[in-house]
Amino acid sequence: MTQATDTPMVELKGVKKRFGDLEVLKGIDLKIDRGKIISIIGPSGSGKSTLLRSINNLEMIDEGSILLDGVQVNRPDLKGLAFERHINHIRQNMGMVFQHFNLFPHLSTLENVTLAPRKLKGVDARSARELGMELLERVGLADKASVYPSSLSGGQKQRVAIARALAMRPKVMLFDEATSALDPELVEEVNQVMKHLAEEHMTMLIVTHEMAFARDVSDWAMFMDGGVVIEENTPDHLFSHPDQERTCHFLRKHLGNPG
Amino acid sequence: MEFDFSPVITYFPTLLKGVGATLLIGLVVALMSIIGGQIVAVISLYTRKVVNWPLRFLIWLFMTTPLLLQLYFLYFGLGQWILIPAIAVGVLGLGFHYMAYNADIFIATIKSVSSGQYEASRSLGFGHLATLFYIILPQAFHRAIPQLGNNMIIMVKDISVLSAIGIAELVYLSQYAISVTFRPFEFYITIAVIYYLINLLMETGQSWIERRAAARR
Repeated sequence: MTQATDTPMVELKGVKKRFGDLEVLKGIDLKIDRGKIISIIGPSGSGKSTLLRSINNLEMIDEGSILLDGVQVNRPDLKGLAFERHINHIRQNMGMVFQHFNLFPHLSTLENVTLAPRKLKGVDARSARELGMELLERVGLADKASVYPSSLSGGQKQRVAIARALAMRPKVMLFDEATSALDPELVEEVNQVMKHLAEEHMTMLIVTHEMAFARDVSDWAMFMDGGVVIEENTPDHLFSHPDQERTCHFLRKHLGNPG
Repeated sequence: MEFDFSPVITYFPTLLKGVGATLLIGLVVALMSIIGGQIVAVISLYTRKVVNWPLRFLIWLFMTTPLLLQLYFLYFGLGQWILIPAIAVGVLGLGFHYMAYNADIFIATIKSVSSGQYEASRSLGFGHLATLFYIILPQAFHRAIPQLGNNMIIMVKDISVLSAIGIAELVYLSQYAISVTFRPFEFYITIAVIYYLINLLMETGQSWIERRAAARR
Protein backbone atom coordinates (compact mmCIF):
# COMPACT_ATOMS: atom_id res chain seq x y z
CA MET A 1 0.00 0.00 0.00
CA THR A 2 2.81 2.43 -0.73
CA GLN A 3 1.50 5.50 -2.45
CA ALA A 4 3.02 8.64 -3.84
CA THR A 5 3.95 10.88 -0.96
CA ASP A 6 1.50 13.58 -2.03
CA THR A 7 -1.47 11.29 -1.37
CA PRO A 8 -3.05 12.45 1.88
CA MET A 9 -2.67 9.87 4.66
CA VAL A 10 -6.33 10.22 5.56
CA GLU A 11 -9.01 11.80 3.45
CA LEU A 12 -12.72 12.18 4.16
CA LYS A 13 -15.16 13.35 1.51
CA GLY A 14 -18.72 14.33 2.33
CA VAL A 15 -19.02 11.93 5.26
CA LYS A 16 -22.52 11.62 6.66
CA LYS A 17 -23.67 9.51 9.59
CA ARG A 18 -27.11 9.08 11.09
CA PHE A 19 -28.19 7.44 14.34
CA GLY A 20 -31.85 6.76 13.57
CA ASP A 21 -33.39 10.11 12.76
CA LEU A 22 -30.50 12.07 14.19
CA GLU A 23 -27.87 13.13 11.69
CA VAL A 24 -24.63 13.38 13.69
CA LEU A 25 -22.26 14.02 10.79
CA LYS A 26 -23.65 16.27 8.10
CA GLY A 27 -21.09 16.08 5.36
CA ILE A 28 -17.52 16.27 6.66
CA ASP A 29 -14.46 16.87 4.47
CA LEU A 30 -11.05 16.38 5.99
CA LYS A 31 -7.54 15.81 4.77
CA ILE A 32 -4.50 14.83 6.83
CA ASP A 33 -1.16 14.88 5.05
CA ARG A 34 1.43 12.39 6.18
CA GLY A 35 3.30 13.41 9.29
CA LYS A 36 0.75 16.08 10.14
CA ILE A 37 -1.34 16.45 13.26
CA ILE A 38 -4.90 17.64 13.27
CA SER A 39 -6.89 18.40 16.39
CA ILE A 40 -10.65 18.47 16.52
CA ILE A 41 -12.33 20.41 19.28
CA GLY A 42 -15.97 21.04 19.97
CA PRO A 43 -18.73 20.62 22.55
CA SER A 44 -20.09 17.22 23.62
CA GLY A 45 -22.43 15.81 21.02
CA SER A 46 -20.80 17.79 18.23
CA GLY A 47 -19.97 14.58 16.41
CA LYS A 48 -16.20 14.75 16.81
CA SER A 49 -15.87 11.33 18.48
CA THR A 50 -18.25 9.78 15.95
CA LEU A 51 -16.11 11.23 13.18
CA LEU A 52 -12.96 9.71 14.63
CA ARG A 53 -14.65 6.34 15.17
CA SER A 54 -15.97 6.42 11.60
CA ILE A 55 -12.46 6.56 10.24
CA ASN A 56 -11.71 2.99 11.33
CA ASN A 57 -15.31 1.93 10.88
CA LEU A 58 -16.22 1.48 14.53
CA GLU A 59 -19.15 3.55 13.29
CA MET A 60 -20.30 2.73 9.79
CA ILE A 61 -20.92 5.87 7.72
CA ASP A 62 -24.06 6.30 5.63
CA GLU A 63 -22.66 8.49 2.86
CA GLY A 64 -19.37 9.81 1.58
CA SER A 65 -16.00 8.13 1.48
CA ILE A 66 -12.99 7.64 3.72
CA LEU A 67 -9.52 6.90 2.35
CA LEU A 68 -6.44 5.74 4.20
CA ASP A 69 -3.29 6.35 2.19
CA GLY A 70 -5.36 6.25 -1.00
CA VAL A 71 -7.22 3.05 -0.09
CA GLN A 72 -10.93 3.27 0.51
CA VAL A 73 -11.93 2.31 4.05
CA ASN A 74 -15.72 2.23 3.73
CA ARG A 75 -16.75 -0.23 1.08
CA PRO A 76 -20.52 -0.41 0.65
CA ASP A 77 -19.90 -2.89 -2.18
CA LEU A 78 -18.37 -5.49 0.17
CA LYS A 79 -20.66 -7.62 2.32
CA GLY A 80 -20.21 -10.04 5.19
CA LEU A 81 -16.89 -11.84 5.42
CA ALA A 82 -15.38 -9.99 2.47
CA PHE A 83 -15.90 -6.69 4.26
CA GLU A 84 -14.68 -8.19 7.54
CA ARG A 85 -11.40 -9.23 5.92
CA HIS A 86 -11.04 -5.83 4.25
CA ILE A 87 -11.69 -3.83 7.41
CA ASN A 88 -9.46 -6.02 9.58
CA HIS A 89 -6.62 -5.33 7.18
CA ILE A 90 -7.34 -1.58 7.10
CA ARG A 91 -7.54 -1.38 10.89
CA GLN A 92 -4.10 -2.92 11.25
CA ASN A 93 -2.79 0.29 9.73
CA MET A 94 -4.58 2.58 12.17
CA GLY A 95 -3.87 2.92 15.87
CA MET A 96 -6.81 3.89 18.05
CA VAL A 97 -6.58 5.22 21.59
CA PHE A 98 -9.76 5.33 23.65
CA GLN A 99 -10.95 7.62 26.42
CA HIS A 100 -11.31 4.68 28.81
CA PHE A 101 -8.06 2.95 27.74
CA ASN A 102 -9.71 -0.45 27.19
CA LEU A 103 -6.57 -2.36 28.09
CA PHE A 104 -7.06 -6.12 28.18
CA PRO A 105 -7.20 -6.89 31.93
CA HIS A 106 -6.40 -10.59 31.54
CA LEU A 107 -3.07 -9.89 29.85
CA SER A 108 0.10 -8.42 31.30
CA THR A 109 1.23 -5.00 30.14
CA LEU A 110 3.73 -6.56 27.75
CA GLU A 111 1.17 -9.06 26.43
CA ASN A 112 -1.25 -6.21 25.79
CA VAL A 113 1.34 -4.68 23.49
CA THR A 114 2.51 -7.88 21.80
CA LEU A 115 -0.80 -9.71 21.27
CA ALA A 116 -1.70 -8.04 17.96
CA PRO A 117 1.74 -8.31 16.30
CA ARG A 118 2.01 -11.94 17.37
CA LYS A 119 -1.44 -13.08 16.30
CA LEU A 120 -2.05 -10.79 13.33
CA LYS A 121 1.40 -10.42 11.84
CA GLY A 122 2.83 -13.75 12.98
CA VAL A 123 5.77 -12.09 14.71
CA ASP A 124 7.61 -14.76 16.74
CA ALA A 125 7.58 -14.60 20.54
CA ARG A 126 11.12 -13.27 20.89
CA SER A 127 10.86 -10.48 18.33
CA ALA A 128 7.44 -9.56 19.72
CA ARG A 129 8.96 -9.31 23.19
CA GLU A 130 11.75 -7.08 21.92
CA LEU A 131 9.26 -4.89 20.07
CA GLY A 132 7.00 -4.75 23.13
CA MET A 133 9.83 -3.81 25.49
CA GLU A 134 11.05 -1.15 23.07
CA LEU A 135 7.57 0.39 22.92
CA LEU A 136 7.08 0.21 26.68
CA GLU A 137 10.46 1.89 27.01
CA ARG A 138 9.23 4.66 24.73
CA VAL A 139 6.22 5.34 26.93
CA GLY A 140 8.38 5.03 30.04
CA LEU A 141 6.86 1.83 31.41
CA ALA A 142 9.45 -0.87 30.71
CA ASP A 143 9.54 -1.64 34.44
CA LYS A 144 5.82 -2.48 34.38
CA ALA A 145 6.08 -5.08 31.61
CA SER A 146 4.98 -8.04 33.73
CA VAL A 147 2.23 -6.45 35.80
CA TYR A 148 -1.47 -6.56 34.99
CA PRO A 149 -3.42 -3.42 34.05
CA SER A 150 -5.40 -3.45 37.32
CA SER A 151 -2.29 -2.30 39.18
CA LEU A 152 -1.55 0.65 36.87
CA SER A 153 -2.66 4.27 37.31
CA GLY A 154 -4.91 5.84 34.67
CA GLY A 155 -2.03 7.69 33.08
CA GLN A 156 0.06 4.53 32.93
CA LYS A 157 -2.85 2.60 31.44
CA GLN A 158 -3.24 5.15 28.68
CA ARG A 159 0.49 5.08 27.93
CA VAL A 160 0.33 1.28 27.61
CA ALA A 161 -2.72 1.70 25.35
CA ILE A 162 -0.66 4.01 23.13
CA ALA A 163 2.18 1.47 23.03
CA ARG A 164 -0.34 -1.24 22.16
CA ALA A 165 -1.64 0.81 19.23
CA LEU A 166 1.91 1.60 18.05
CA ALA A 167 2.85 -2.09 18.06
CA MET A 168 1.09 -2.61 14.73
CA ARG A 169 3.25 0.17 13.19
CA PRO A 170 0.17 2.17 12.17
CA LYS A 171 0.18 4.82 9.46
CA VAL A 172 -2.03 7.06 11.53
CA MET A 173 -2.93 7.34 15.19
CA LEU A 174 -6.46 8.27 16.25
CA PHE A 175 -6.88 9.69 19.75
CA ASP A 176 -10.44 9.78 21.09
CA GLU A 177 -10.31 12.11 24.10
CA ALA A 178 -7.30 10.22 25.38
CA THR A 179 -6.92 12.34 28.51
CA SER A 180 -10.56 13.10 29.36
CA ALA A 181 -10.93 10.27 31.86
CA LEU A 182 -7.68 11.06 33.68
CA ASP A 183 -7.11 12.90 36.92
CA PRO A 184 -5.63 16.33 36.10
CA GLU A 185 -2.20 15.46 37.48
CA LEU A 186 -1.96 12.44 35.15
CA VAL A 187 -2.80 14.29 31.94
CA GLU A 188 0.70 15.63 31.42
CA GLU A 189 2.45 12.24 31.22
CA VAL A 190 0.10 11.15 28.43
CA ASN A 191 0.49 14.48 26.63
CA GLN A 192 4.26 14.03 26.81
CA VAL A 193 4.04 10.67 25.05
CA MET A 194 1.84 12.21 22.36
CA LYS A 195 4.31 15.06 21.94
CA HIS A 196 7.13 12.58 21.40
CA LEU A 197 5.07 10.92 18.70
CA ALA A 198 4.54 14.31 17.10
CA GLU A 199 8.28 14.90 17.09
CA GLU A 200 8.72 11.57 15.32
CA HIS A 201 6.29 12.80 12.64
CA MET A 202 3.54 10.33 13.36
CA THR A 203 0.36 11.27 11.51
CA MET A 204 -2.27 11.94 14.15
CA LEU A 205 -5.90 12.91 14.49
CA ILE A 206 -6.67 14.11 17.98
CA VAL A 207 -10.12 14.66 19.42
CA THR A 208 -9.58 16.52 22.66
CA HIS A 209 -10.80 18.92 25.33
CA GLU A 210 -7.23 20.01 26.10
CA MET A 211 -7.13 23.32 24.29
CA ALA A 212 -3.60 24.28 25.31
CA PHE A 213 -2.26 20.91 24.23
CA ALA A 214 -4.13 20.99 20.92
CA ARG A 215 -2.76 24.43 20.19
CA ASP A 216 0.74 23.41 21.12
CA VAL A 217 1.02 20.17 19.21
CA SER A 218 -1.20 20.49 16.12
CA ASP A 219 -0.49 21.61 12.58
CA TRP A 220 -4.16 22.26 11.94
CA ALA A 221 -7.18 22.67 14.18
CA MET A 222 -10.88 22.17 13.52
CA PHE A 223 -13.88 23.27 15.50
CA MET A 224 -16.97 21.08 15.13
CA ASP A 225 -20.49 21.66 16.31
CA GLY A 226 -23.80 20.05 15.40
CA GLY A 227 -22.22 17.56 13.02
CA VAL A 228 -20.45 20.13 10.82
CA VAL A 229 -17.01 21.71 10.76
CA ILE A 230 -17.73 25.30 11.78
CA GLU A 231 -14.22 26.55 11.32
CA GLU A 232 -10.72 25.26 10.63
CA ASN A 233 -7.40 27.00 10.57
CA THR A 234 -3.87 26.95 11.96
CA PRO A 235 -4.07 26.48 15.72
CA ASP A 236 -2.68 29.95 16.37
CA HIS A 237 -5.36 31.54 14.29
CA LEU A 238 -8.23 29.31 15.46
CA PHE A 239 -7.45 29.67 19.14
CA SER A 240 -6.47 33.36 19.13
CA HIS A 241 -8.63 34.92 16.44
CA PRO A 242 -11.55 32.61 15.65
CA ASP A 243 -13.62 33.91 12.77
CA GLN A 244 -16.92 32.39 13.87
CA GLU A 245 -19.06 33.50 16.77
CA ARG A 246 -19.73 29.88 17.85
CA THR A 247 -16.03 29.10 17.99
CA CYS A 248 -15.48 32.24 20.01
CA HIS A 249 -18.26 31.32 22.40
CA PHE A 250 -16.94 27.76 22.85
CA LEU A 251 -13.37 28.88 23.46
CA ARG A 252 -14.47 31.52 25.92
CA LYS A 253 -16.26 28.87 27.92
CA HIS A 254 -13.28 26.51 27.86
CA LEU A 255 -10.34 28.89 28.10
CA GLY A 256 -11.88 31.77 29.94
CA ASN A 257 -10.31 34.18 27.44
CA PRO A 258 -12.18 36.26 24.89
CA GLY A 259 -10.33 34.72 21.96
CA MET B 1 -24.63 -48.77 70.62
CA GLU B 2 -21.63 -50.55 69.34
CA PHE B 3 -19.47 -49.43 66.45
CA ASP B 4 -17.40 -51.77 64.39
CA PHE B 5 -15.29 -50.11 61.74
CA SER B 6 -13.27 -53.22 60.90
CA PRO B 7 -15.48 -54.11 57.87
CA VAL B 8 -14.85 -50.57 56.61
CA ILE B 9 -11.14 -51.22 56.82
CA THR B 10 -11.54 -54.58 55.09
CA TYR B 11 -13.51 -53.00 52.27
CA PHE B 12 -11.47 -49.80 52.13
CA PRO B 13 -9.73 -50.80 48.87
CA THR B 14 -13.21 -51.21 47.33
CA LEU B 15 -14.19 -47.76 48.59
CA LEU B 16 -10.99 -46.31 47.15
CA LYS B 17 -11.94 -47.76 43.77
CA GLY B 18 -15.22 -45.92 44.16
CA VAL B 19 -13.38 -42.71 45.00
CA GLY B 20 -11.24 -43.19 41.89
CA ALA B 21 -14.31 -43.75 39.72
CA THR B 22 -16.06 -40.71 41.21
CA LEU B 23 -13.05 -38.47 40.67
CA LEU B 24 -12.48 -39.73 37.12
CA ILE B 25 -16.14 -39.23 36.20
CA GLY B 26 -15.99 -35.83 37.89
CA LEU B 27 -12.97 -34.79 35.84
CA VAL B 28 -14.51 -35.86 32.53
CA VAL B 29 -17.85 -34.23 33.35
CA ALA B 30 -16.11 -31.04 34.53
CA LEU B 31 -14.13 -30.74 31.29
CA MET B 32 -17.15 -31.57 29.18
CA SER B 33 -19.52 -29.21 30.97
CA ILE B 34 -17.07 -26.29 31.12
CA ILE B 35 -15.86 -26.50 27.52
CA GLY B 36 -19.35 -27.38 26.27
CA GLY B 37 -20.88 -24.65 28.41
CA GLN B 38 -18.69 -22.04 26.74
CA ILE B 39 -19.58 -23.33 23.28
CA VAL B 40 -23.28 -23.35 24.10
CA ALA B 41 -23.03 -19.82 25.53
CA VAL B 42 -21.25 -18.50 22.44
CA ILE B 43 -23.73 -20.16 20.09
CA SER B 44 -26.74 -18.89 21.99
CA LEU B 45 -25.35 -15.34 22.14
CA TYR B 46 -23.92 -14.93 18.66
CA THR B 47 -25.99 -16.97 16.22
CA ARG B 48 -29.37 -16.60 14.56
CA LYS B 49 -32.56 -17.57 16.34
CA VAL B 50 -33.02 -20.68 14.20
CA VAL B 51 -29.84 -22.08 15.72
CA ASN B 52 -29.95 -20.75 19.26
CA TRP B 53 -33.62 -21.14 20.15
CA PRO B 54 -33.59 -24.95 20.00
CA LEU B 55 -30.40 -24.81 22.03
CA ARG B 56 -31.95 -22.54 24.62
CA PHE B 57 -34.93 -24.89 24.78
CA LEU B 58 -32.58 -27.81 25.52
CA ILE B 59 -30.82 -25.82 28.25
CA TRP B 60 -34.18 -24.97 29.73
CA LEU B 61 -35.19 -28.64 29.61
CA PHE B 62 -32.05 -29.78 31.42
CA MET B 63 -32.39 -27.08 34.05
CA THR B 64 -36.05 -27.62 34.87
CA THR B 65 -36.12 -31.41 35.26
CA PRO B 66 -34.44 -33.57 37.91
CA LEU B 67 -31.10 -35.17 37.09
CA LEU B 68 -32.37 -38.60 38.16
CA LEU B 69 -35.29 -38.36 35.73
CA GLN B 70 -32.91 -37.37 32.93
CA LEU B 71 -30.72 -40.38 33.65
CA TYR B 72 -33.70 -42.75 33.78
CA PHE B 73 -34.98 -41.30 30.54
CA LEU B 74 -31.65 -41.73 28.75
CA TYR B 75 -30.97 -45.19 30.16
CA PHE B 76 -34.36 -46.90 30.50
CA GLY B 77 -36.49 -44.62 28.31
CA LEU B 78 -34.28 -44.65 25.27
CA GLY B 79 -33.29 -48.17 26.32
CA GLN B 80 -36.57 -49.40 24.87
CA TRP B 81 -34.97 -48.96 21.46
CA ILE B 82 -31.28 -48.47 21.93
CA LEU B 83 -29.12 -49.61 24.81
CA ILE B 84 -26.47 -47.04 25.64
CA PRO B 85 -23.81 -48.27 28.11
CA ALA B 86 -24.55 -47.00 31.63
CA ILE B 87 -21.23 -45.20 31.96
CA ALA B 88 -21.90 -43.30 28.71
CA VAL B 89 -25.39 -42.36 29.89
CA GLY B 90 -23.99 -41.29 33.25
CA VAL B 91 -21.22 -39.11 31.88
CA LEU B 92 -23.32 -37.63 29.07
CA GLY B 93 -26.37 -37.08 31.28
CA LEU B 94 -24.39 -35.41 34.04
CA GLY B 95 -22.28 -33.57 31.44
CA PHE B 96 -25.28 -32.10 29.62
CA HIS B 97 -27.02 -31.29 32.90
CA TYR B 98 -24.08 -29.22 34.15
CA MET B 99 -23.30 -27.92 30.67
CA ALA B 100 -26.65 -26.19 30.85
CA TYR B 101 -25.87 -24.63 34.23
CA ASN B 102 -22.37 -23.59 33.14
CA ALA B 103 -23.66 -22.14 29.87
CA ASP B 104 -26.00 -19.98 31.91
CA ILE B 105 -23.03 -18.61 33.86
CA PHE B 106 -20.95 -18.01 30.74
CA ILE B 107 -23.80 -16.19 29.01
CA ALA B 108 -23.92 -13.77 31.94
CA THR B 109 -20.15 -13.25 32.21
CA ILE B 110 -19.66 -12.86 28.44
CA LYS B 111 -22.32 -10.15 28.49
CA SER B 112 -20.55 -8.48 31.41
CA VAL B 113 -17.33 -7.88 29.42
CA SER B 114 -17.58 -4.26 28.28
CA SER B 115 -18.11 -3.30 24.65
CA GLY B 116 -14.93 -1.24 24.95
CA GLN B 117 -12.95 -4.48 25.10
CA TYR B 118 -14.55 -5.63 21.86
CA GLU B 119 -13.89 -2.30 20.16
CA ALA B 120 -10.28 -2.14 21.31
CA SER B 121 -9.62 -5.58 19.88
CA ARG B 122 -11.39 -4.86 16.61
CA SER B 123 -9.52 -1.56 16.27
CA LEU B 124 -6.24 -3.49 16.38
CA GLY B 125 -7.43 -5.53 13.40
CA PHE B 126 -8.72 -8.68 15.11
CA GLY B 127 -11.82 -10.19 13.53
CA HIS B 128 -15.01 -11.05 15.37
CA LEU B 129 -14.06 -14.65 16.16
CA ALA B 130 -10.46 -13.82 17.07
CA THR B 131 -11.79 -11.13 19.42
CA LEU B 132 -14.07 -13.65 21.09
CA PHE B 133 -11.27 -16.16 21.40
CA TYR B 134 -8.42 -13.93 22.60
CA ILE B 135 -10.24 -11.15 24.43
CA ILE B 136 -13.84 -11.83 25.44
CA LEU B 137 -13.85 -15.51 26.43
CA PRO B 138 -10.72 -15.44 28.63
CA GLN B 139 -12.18 -12.52 30.59
CA ALA B 140 -15.59 -14.16 30.78
CA PHE B 141 -13.87 -17.30 32.04
CA HIS B 142 -12.03 -15.46 34.83
CA ARG B 143 -15.29 -13.90 35.96
CA ALA B 144 -17.05 -17.27 35.88
CA ILE B 145 -14.57 -19.09 38.12
CA PRO B 146 -16.35 -18.62 41.50
CA GLN B 147 -19.71 -19.86 40.20
CA LEU B 148 -18.14 -22.58 38.08
CA GLY B 149 -16.34 -23.86 41.15
CA ASN B 150 -19.57 -24.00 43.11
CA ASN B 151 -21.30 -25.86 40.29
CA MET B 152 -18.48 -28.39 40.06
CA ILE B 153 -18.58 -29.04 43.79
CA ILE B 154 -22.32 -29.74 43.57
CA MET B 155 -21.68 -31.87 40.48
CA VAL B 156 -19.23 -34.14 42.27
CA LYS B 157 -21.84 -34.85 44.93
CA ASP B 158 -24.40 -35.51 42.19
CA ILE B 159 -22.21 -38.28 40.78
CA SER B 160 -23.72 -40.43 43.57
CA VAL B 161 -27.00 -40.30 41.63
CA LEU B 162 -25.33 -42.41 38.93
CA SER B 163 -25.52 -45.37 41.34
CA ALA B 164 -29.19 -45.51 40.33
CA ILE B 165 -28.22 -46.77 36.88
CA GLY B 166 -25.60 -49.15 38.25
CA ILE B 167 -22.38 -47.22 37.85
CA ALA B 168 -19.72 -48.45 40.30
CA GLU B 169 -18.89 -45.15 41.92
CA LEU B 170 -18.38 -44.48 45.62
CA VAL B 171 -21.97 -44.77 46.86
CA TYR B 172 -22.72 -47.79 44.68
CA LEU B 173 -19.68 -49.71 45.92
CA SER B 174 -20.49 -48.87 49.52
CA GLN B 175 -24.00 -50.29 49.00
CA TYR B 176 -22.33 -53.47 47.89
CA ALA B 177 -20.03 -53.54 50.91
CA ILE B 178 -22.97 -52.87 53.22
CA SER B 179 -25.00 -55.68 51.71
CA VAL B 180 -22.16 -58.04 52.56
CA THR B 181 -21.19 -56.72 56.00
CA PHE B 182 -24.49 -55.27 57.38
CA ARG B 183 -22.73 -52.20 58.82
CA PRO B 184 -24.54 -49.33 57.03
CA PHE B 185 -23.94 -46.75 59.78
CA GLU B 186 -20.16 -47.11 59.76
CA PHE B 187 -19.97 -47.12 55.96
CA TYR B 188 -22.20 -44.09 55.49
CA ILE B 189 -20.23 -42.11 58.08
CA THR B 190 -17.01 -43.02 56.33
CA ILE B 191 -18.35 -42.03 52.95
CA ALA B 192 -19.65 -38.75 54.31
CA VAL B 193 -16.15 -38.01 55.59
CA ILE B 194 -14.67 -38.93 52.21
CA TYR B 195 -17.10 -36.56 50.44
CA TYR B 196 -16.27 -33.86 52.95
CA LEU B 197 -12.55 -34.27 52.21
CA ILE B 198 -13.11 -34.12 48.44
CA ASN B 199 -15.16 -30.99 48.97
CA LEU B 200 -12.48 -29.42 51.13
CA LEU B 201 -9.88 -30.15 48.50
CA MET B 202 -11.99 -28.64 45.74
CA GLU B 203 -12.76 -25.52 47.76
CA THR B 204 -9.07 -25.02 48.49
CA GLY B 205 -8.27 -25.43 44.81
CA GLN B 206 -11.02 -23.05 43.85
CA SER B 207 -9.90 -20.26 46.17
CA TRP B 208 -6.31 -20.71 44.97
CA ILE B 209 -7.44 -20.29 41.35
CA GLU B 210 -9.67 -17.36 42.31
CA ARG B 211 -6.78 -15.58 43.99
CA ARG B 212 -4.64 -16.04 40.89
CA ALA B 213 -7.41 -14.79 38.61
CA ALA B 214 -8.23 -11.78 40.77
CA ALA B 215 -5.26 -9.75 39.49
CA ARG B 216 -6.41 -10.25 35.93
CA ARG B 217 -9.86 -8.75 36.17
